[in-house]
Amino acid sequence: MFGKVLVANRGEIAVRVIRALREAGIRSVAVYSEADRASLAVQMADEAAPIGPTAAAESYLAIDKIIDAACEHGADAIHPGYGFLSENPEFAEACSDAGITFIGPPASAIRSMGSKTAARRLAISAGAPVVPGTETAVETFAEARLIAASLGYPVLLKAAAGGGGKGMRRVDREADLEAALRDAASEALRAFRNAEVYLEKVVVEPRHIEIQILGDQHGHLIHLGERECSLQRRHQKVVEECPSPVMRDYPELREKMGAAALKIARSAGYYNAGTMEFLVDRDRNFYFLEMNTRLQVEHPVTELVTGFDLVQWQLKIAAGEPLTIGQGDVKWSGSAIECRIYAENPEQGFMPSPGKITRWREPSGPGVRLDSSVYEGWNVPLEYDPLLAKLIAWAPTRELATARLHGALQEFIIGGIHTNREFFAGILEDEEFRAGRLSTAFLEGFFGRRETPEIDLETEAVAALVAALESRRSAAGAKTEAAKSMWAQAGRIAQLR
Amino acid sequence: MTFDVTILERTPRERAAKLVLQEGAFTYTREDGGSIAKTFSIEPGGDGRYSVLIEGHSYQVVLVGNGEVVVNGRTLQVSVEDPRKLRGRGSAERGHGRQTIASPMPGRVIRLLVEVGQEVEAGQGLIVVEAMKMQNEMKSPKAGKILEIRTSAGAAVAAGDALLVME
Repeated sequence: MFGKVLVANRGEIAVRVIRALREAGIRSVAVYSEADRASLAVQMADEAAPIGPTAAAESYLAIDKIIDAACEHGADAIHPGYGFLSENPEFAEACSDAGITFIGPPASAIRSMGSKTAARRLAISAGAPVVPGTETAVETFAEARLIAASLGYPVLLKAAAGGGGKGMRRVDREADLEAALRDAASEALRAFRNAEVYLEKVVVEPRHIEIQILGDQHGHLIHLGERECSLQRRHQKVVEECPSPVMRDYPELREKMGAAALKIARSAGYYNAGTMEFLVDRDRNFYFLEMNTRLQVEHPVTELVTGFDLVQWQLKIAAGEPLTIGQGDVKWSGSAIECRIYAENPEQGFMPSPGKITRWREPSGPGVRLDSSVYEGWNVPLEYDPLLAKLIAWAPTRELATARLHGALQEFIIGGIHTNREFFAGILEDEEFRAGRLSTAFLEGFFGRRETPEIDLETEAVAALVAALESRRSAAGAKTEAAKSMWAQAGRIAQLR
Repeated sequence: MTFDVTILERTPRERAAKLVLQEGAFTYTREDGGSIAKTFSIEPGGDGRYSVLIEGHSYQVVLVGNGEVVVNGRTLQVSVEDPRKLRGRGSAERGHGRQTIASPMPGRVIRLLVEVGQEVEAGQGLIVVEAMKMQNEMKSPKAGKILEIRTSAGAAVAAGDALLVME
């Protein structure tokens, strides 16, 4: 096993990996850009190395700087987390050229699965179903127009090197195609340094279900079942769960999708952790979408339901150890639901809301897990992804997991910035959500039907009461006598009663 | 003590009320009807946290800053004023005539989609601002003409910065 591992990432996933390293008795090295000097990951790691300015292109995406830091600190492996360099085959190669183990799949598999068009071809040859669309990147608007017309609208433009919804646009009519193509290509170029975009048909109101796989370097591959990630905004997941509610009624679907995922992984020569994303239509036909050749953001729901620690397995597999879990050892127990707490305002089109966290109180209780990198007083930087924390609840049933997650959301106090915390509470109360009737169109419908419950008079009065007393106290300011007497009076009042 | 209170919850639904505090009791009256009078006890827990008991009902309250009060997990925007103070609320400059398009968030200008002098339609894209890796196209609030452009592609902008002026 490794003696020291560098974590080439930031935010909650850096903290997650550092925790796993601590647990395994491995020393950790954090890297940080100028904006992240005060980050929790830096504080928790055994060692930390600066890798340059705030712009990701000059820090978290700078292969040479990260390799240099690893060499300087004597790290024998690098965990890339998700995003940034995690799916960059050149980075994996640079690691091995420097004699450092890349904790992930082989560069060849990243390359073949990293391009969505290449991954599609591979899936087709492995016999897995795919969504109708182009096999190569679209070169011109004229070409895109012809292809879109033959597929039939709506169509989807997707960055060939993409992920996380960047460089992705749904186009409902030909009139919008040119602008969407321009935007998608420019966003793709900025995010991935690759402007290639391809086109596919939109499966209307599908479920988004993905299969987690795990394989060692000795040819042993298993799947750990599915995660349903249908709740998305701007093609970015917001709520994920395991098992998918659809598997409750159709358990054979898990086996079918698991088998398809393993076929694709095998033909790519894949090892370590990876995820196959599928769309599932109303008739439970499934279509391979893409593979993520790294740890997923939403991996905790699988961990809670299967009991396997994915990051520990990533470390062991990268160190050449055999995967000692057989397919028959994988059991799915209970239900886990995750919501991604973002620094954004759902009431204003999910507008990003960076700034200083003035209050941060974490929820707790049975079956509650919080993966985060936030602390009170920390500034949410404007330059990176707005993910603050992942709140996950596990319980024996989906109904109880929903209730636990709802309770934890109520306990969670975040001040200073806008977040989607209360928005999630509304989703968990929604009848459609509770019934498990999910699709990627869920949120649109939810916005239309949700009602903010009328606030009761007493709750409102309590808010006014505390705000009024606090304003009196702060108005008293330095006059300590007056400030003190404010609460003393409140105390006396209570005793008199 | 008497306070004028304005309560705002999530969606723009503003509500005015009056709060009267006496010895160990309060009266809370909404301007549009509804009133309660109860006795209470309050215990500050430090760090912006308060425990409020109202005739046996427990409320956990946290002041999170910016006038936001979280009561049992629900966030309310509360502003409290001394009613004797003058109310100098500025009138909105919206509607007809010149209108300044301001950035709703801090970020970076990616692209300008219009030029000075250009006629635009309501809903037409004006400018693309990127924050936290997401590009947001700002659309024209009305049909009109671009008078001024006060920024350029690549410029960093703060929330509230004027980007363009139109009429």
